[in-house]
Amino acid sequence: MNLFWREMKANRKSLTIWSACMFLLVAGGMGKYTAYSAGGTSSEVFEHMPFSLKALLGIGTLDVTTMSGFFALLFTYIELTAAAHAALLGSGILAKEERDKTAEFLMTKPISRSSVVTAKLAAALANVAVLNLVTLISSVVMVNAYNKGESVAAEIVLFLLSMFIVQLIFLSLGAFLSACLRNSKNSGPAAAGILLGSFAIAKITDLTDRLSILNALSPFKYFSIDRIAEGNGLGIGIALSALALTAVLAALTYRFYGRRELNL
Amino acid sequence: MNMYGHELKSLRKSALIWTCSMIALASLFLAVYPGMASDAAGFKQLLSGYPEPVREMLGIDLDTVASLLGFYSMVFAFVTLCGAIQGMNLGVSILSKESRERTADFLLVKPVSRSSIVTAKLAAACTALVATDLVFFAAVSVVASAVAAGGYSGKTFLLINLTLLFIQLIFLALGLAVSVFFARLKNVLSISLGTVFGFYVLGALLASDAGDEAARYLSPFKYFDSFRIIRDAGYEWSYMLAGILIVAAGIAVSYGGYIRKDIHAG
Repeated sequence: MNLFWREMKANRKSLTIWSACMFLLVAGGMGKYTAYSAGGTSSEVFEHMPFSLKALLGIGTLDVTTMSGFFALLFTYIELTAAAHAALLGSGILAKEERDKTAEFLMTKPISRSSVVTAKLAAALANVAVLNLVTLISSVVMVNAYNKGESVAAEIVLFLLSMFIVQLIFLSLGAFLSACLRNSKNSGPAAAGILLGSFAIAKITDLTDRLSILNALSPFKYFSIDRIAEGNGLGIGIALSALALTAVLAALTYRFYGRRELNL
Repeated sequence: MNMYGHELKSLRKSALIWTCSMIALASLFLAVYPGMASDAAGFKQLLSGYPEPVREMLGIDLDTVASLLGFYSMVFAFVTLCGAIQGMNLGVSILSKESRERTADFLLVKPVSRSSIVTAKLAAACTALVATDLVFFAAVSVVASAVAAGGYSGKTFLLINLTLLFIQLIFLALGLAVSVFFARLKNVLSISLGTVFGFYVLGALLASDAGDEAARYLSPFKYFDSFRIIRDAGYEWSYMLAGILIVAAGIAVSYGGYIRKDIHAG
């Protein structure tokens, strides 16, 4: 329990900064809503336009003149920010002991390695959950302030729920990388690389419907934004498989960290 | 000169990884282009059945966007995002890594001035960025010629790709300036990712009102607008000047800061 609180305290400052940035992102993004909702002209020409061209002209399949459509557009950036936080946190929380040369100090304590991992992952989970809650509250408040039509709070909750699962995936991925790479200093860059790669893949598959198979590689595409924006829920099968992926990565983290040769 | 060589050697691997991933990213996008071009041609056919004003409104847009350079501008937005992270990361880490890896005392007892340390490291970082961009440009030109059905303007293509270097230099200078203010910088990546994503999102949000010229000064990602480069075959000099000022200020701050800095050893 001491270790858990120690980690919470160590991450307090960075969590505050991330939360503040998240709030600014949501507030700044919603400030743009008026610009979008004003220029809503949809002609029948657009209906005949090929999928790829729509994506290219930035129209996409979302109707950004509605509140849930606009929030879905903004959500891409919110999710990217939250995923970056989770990936860096997950890879840093185990690796920092070796980086800061405190691994020796920690390992001489009478606790098993698996309880070290448990305490650290629990602290990281709490941090991720706090960031998600901050985003949820600021989104609901800001959207309410701008929304003139019916309430979209239910969709926002679903969006943020899907974001939480994506955060969990990147958190466990980061932790897994820091446990399995021989030089744990590389786990941060590796996790960030995977994050950017997934983001790029998500953007490419937005552009064409011929490469949908690549979506399996990008957690950003596990949950269909269009589907949530239209109010059709998350898809229980995909949610369960994403959680299973997280569980597998977490289990591997325990396994690899338990047998790890620590660089002292 | 020794320092320069040493830095270059230690940057070699990461520069190679960055170059390869940027080439892979751009090629993957460009591979989508032929399908897109045929979609666009089909759509233009369909448009001929519509009244003149509708055709005018969409047609011009389509011709720019569905051309190779127009399409490449969009691809290029992601490449600059990667490049900016590379530049910022390099800038934040290159001076601070000595204290992080506990080699600062070793370096500082050498008979070299602190300003020559900064010069050598800055030169090495710039070399790494220029090399990355040269290889990237060579590879992407080959891919672009392979997928382009019609011709495209080589000069404009070069002008667009050159902005990658400018943006990288801006973020390199920014990173250097930021890094000298931290007594001991532990987490380089979160600072560089945070800053670059911050500016990227800021730029993406600014893009929604096209008329707001002053707001574009806020995000370096908006200094070089590819569509304007295609239209004018040149840069917008006021934004270029803003970029040069940021780079000059950043470098000046990092020299001044590093020379006076209390560096933790061991």
